Amino acid sequence: MNGVVIGVIYALAALGVSLVVGIMNVINFAHGELYILAGYFSFLFADALGWNMYLSLAVAVFLVFLFGIFIEYILIRPTYGNEMYSLILTFILSIVLQNAYLLIFGPYPNKPPTWIKGATEVFGLFFYGNQRLAALVVGAFVITAVFLVIKLTWFGKIVRAASQDREMAELNGVNTLYLNMLSFGLGCALAGAAGVILAPVFPVTPTAGVQVALTAFVVVVLGGMGSLWGCVVGGLVLGLVENLGAAFLSTGYKHIFGFIILILVLLIRPAGLFGRKEI
Amino acid sequence: MRKGLLVSGLSLTMSLVFFLVFGIAPVMADTVKVGVVGPRTGTAAATGKAFEEGIKLAVAYVNSKGGVMGKQLEIVFEDTAGAPDKAASGFERLVIKDKVAMVLGESHSSSALAEIEVANRLKVPFIVAEAWADPITAKNYKYVFRAGPSNSGVVNETIAKWVVHEKFKKAFIVAENTDWGLGIAELTKKALEKAGVKYDSLVTERQSQDHYTELSKIKAFDPDVVLAYVYGTGLHYFVAQAGETKLTPKAVILDGAGPPSLWPDFWKNVGDYGNLECFVSSMHEKVELTKLATYFREAYTKEFGTAPTDYKSRSIFDAVLIAADAVNRAKSTDADKLVDALEKTNLLVTRGMVKFGTQMGGPEYHQWMPPMLIVQWQDKIQTVLYPTEGATGKLKK
Repeated sequence: MNGVVIGVIYALAALGVSLVVGIMNVINFAHGELYILAGYFSFLFADALGWNMYLSLAVAVFLVFLFGIFIEYILIRPTYGNEMYSLILTFILSIVLQNAYLLIFGPYPNKPPTWIKGATEVFGLFFYGNQRLAALVVGAFVITAVFLVIKLTWFGKIVRAASQDREMAELNGVNTLYLNMLSFGLGCALAGAAGVILAPVFPVTPTAGVQVALTAFVVVVLGGMGSLWGCVVGGLVLGLVENLGAAFLSTGYKHIFGFIILILVLLIRPAGLFGRKEI
Repeated sequence: MRKGLLVSGLSLTMSLVFFLVFGIAPVMADTVKVGVVGPRTGTAAATGKAFEEGIKLAVAYVNSKGGVMGKQLEIVFEDTAGAPDKAASGFERLVIKDKVAMVLGESHSSSALAEIEVANRLKVPFIVAEAWADPITAKNYKYVFRAGPSNSGVVNETIAKWVVHEKFKKAFIVAENTDWGLGIAELTKKALEKAGVKYDSLVTERQSQDHYTELSKIKAFDPDVVLAYVYGTGLHYFVAQAGETKLTPKAVILDGAGPPSLWPDFWKNVGDYGNLECFVSSMHEKVELTKLATYFREAYTKEFGTAPTDYKSRSIFDAVLIAADAVNRAKSTDADKLVDALEKTNLLVTRGMVKFGTQMGGPEYHQWMPPMLIVQWQDKIQTVLYPTEGATGKLKK
């Protein structure tokens, strides 16, 4: 069960990366730091300022969305056509943000208020933290909502069109400049959503985003670059493999199992589980 | 023309020599520089903060007592981020660029093990403050000292004796995969075997946030006590998740490092699951061994508006005092004279009388082991459990 919960958490954290890669072909190295930023915002609003918890979560995600749009406008837009520049710039941004968090929030972990305290006995077998169960439900809801938006809405159609053939989408009147801006903002907001959902489980620290981003990239590559379904399956596979490996082999190499699976999958399917082959 | 150039060149050189000797040199000699290495960023950045606080108080204390060799003491702090490569290059920078007389600090064993190689190569005295792995002093390097706990000292003098004292029958050892974690776990296994306490163990990843799988294995063993050698935020996750999975309060958790249980956000992160957790510490306001310990607490409270919690602030305070004392007695910043002075140290600091071991062959060489306490959180109040002569209460389960 823990593998499934952790898998959904991984998938949620990776969804934003996948969206941005799929549409813009940009790898956002600061993805983990945006996750952390949302965690800090929710801590600041709900804990330090005493706002309503749910309002704090919504405002935190919205602010990260706006920050994402700002990053796209200032840093990413001038680099279109050269993926290496955007990669380097977001990498620098991640270091700047880590140090800014250290300066502003200090080195200690910060935790927003827990939504539901305590633990529940599952099937009379074991106890499981209520906050984790809540994270599972809300995480699954957010993932479903993203799929519905992409599948059913006008915006989703444009996203799918641009991700399949950007030039053709432009010829059909899609303003890809605005699409990029919105998509990047949405990708950042998804990182933020993961951050606010998980911060009560795993308190945020200035450098905790590095591990989040690394896991997200592994999930995206495992599932196939830009594939949202791949993201979900990749997240679940990674969560299950890590937990089963830790349970039956060694807890000391939990994260190594994920990388072994990644290498094996890439050897058999270089484009990832749901990736499209380049023509 | 050529003669003119020669004269100009000579004048320039002489001016430069004059400037260096009479211009810069007196300015540089106003202070004696001592380097500090420690993590100001990374997962253990909280230790860097504790070091900064301790250094601030120590420098003020030393300089108010006349400084070192009649000059002001100046500390240059190099961030190691808890990474051995950064630690080694940072150490070298302190020696080569900043020209420090000696180096102090460190709290990551992996980093310290990289730094002692540089200290040995560059022949610069290095006083390790809070990196516990035995090989740091067991390598018997002439320039390496440790004024702080060692793994073997903490296990054999405190943890193992406490486990026996509390009559725990079954112990579970959880160690992070670092030089400190793996080293202290091995020593604990040997000590528990010797004491006839049944145990099991597992290794966890240092960066791990999720410990549910580990906890299900521990729960299956049904231990009385869990010896958790996990540092940093990972300890908070471990304690909170042990509570969620109902491992505690049936089993008692001992935080084998200490400071994470004292960080300001400990209670916010672990909630009620932090109650009855035990931890290793070298600091408690009711067990102050010297007047300097009381001075430290009062000075800290005055300076930072709160009582000291992370004992590493006091460890680095002591290390700075030991360094200043050695420079004053050596009346020189020459490395060999400083080593000689350090070997003859007989100084009362906050944690007792410092005397470095001089017997070669084991980790006791150039080692001074301060007394450590086992403390338990009882309704958010720190209760000293061990050693019994300093105990302020009994173990609650």
